[in-house]
Amino acid sequence: MKHIFLKLVIAIFSLITVSFALLIPIVTSPKTFFEFPIIPTLEEKARNIFFHVPMAWISVIAFFTSVFYSIKYLIKKDEVDDIKSSSAANLGFIFCVLATITGAIWARFNWGEFWNWDPRQTSIFILLLIYGAYFVLRSAIDEDEKRAKISAVYSIISGLTVPFFVFVMPRIMTGLHPGSLGDASGKGPLFEAKAMATNMRIIFYLSVLSFTMIYFWILNLKARVEVLYMKNFENKN
Amino acid sequence: MYYFFTQNQIYIVATIVLICLIGIFLYLFNLDKKISKLEKK
Repeated sequence: MKHIFLKLVIAIFSLITVSFALLIPIVTSPKTFFEFPIIPTLEEKARNIFFHVPMAWISVIAFFTSVFYSIKYLIKKDEVDDIKSSSAANLGFIFCVLATITGAIWARFNWGEFWNWDPRQTSIFILLLIYGAYFVLRSAIDEDEKRAKISAVYSIISGLTVPFFVFVMPRIMTGLHPGSLGDASGKGPLFEAKAMATNMRIIFYLSVLSFTMIYFWILNLKARVEVLYMKNFENKN
Repeated sequence: MYYFFTQNQIYIVATIVLICLIGIFLYLFNLDKKISKLEKK
């Protein structure tokens, strides 16, 4: 058992963070660190920030990881990098879907409809299409080296669109998400805005950190399985 | 149903946490299946 200590730290850290996120009471006038101030219109739903936003964050991290390993593949031509790249894109897609679903449910109760074509919803939808095409592309090519090379290039190009869709587009257009153009609550998304109290922001960042660590753990598992899979098939041939 | 959720907002949070967990578990199930396939060889 390698790095058992690290995994234990990830598990305990995430458990503590999620407990804080769920259990700290939301009150009108917080007096201690362990009381969240009430945010008008959000109320208890404010806790969704600790779960919905990390999902979107992980998908961005995952797509960037995919770009990183794609570049590494193109330089070194190592099949393992190709596997890591596709595993990262795979996980990024899953978390993108989770962010979309959790966001849609939250939207139903804050904005009235599951789907509003808000700039951020539109951009995550396009991201899902882009990365959906990535898997179609991969499954369409039989030759290993060709597949690795083409999907690496595709992953780099689609990775370039990610910051635009996630960080730029939703901020230069008017929309329902906090941080959209003309939003009075603050300059950026909710977690940067003044609406969020310091203790809430700390728990939020801890939550993002713990979900990111969980992501790297799952990515590590996935990549190891895929490498084994590849080696087994090679031996068989 | 909608009214119940608006009156008990913590259930909305619970639903969202459950969806995140279900997503991660589905992924792990898939991974598990792949490992089993490897073991059978």
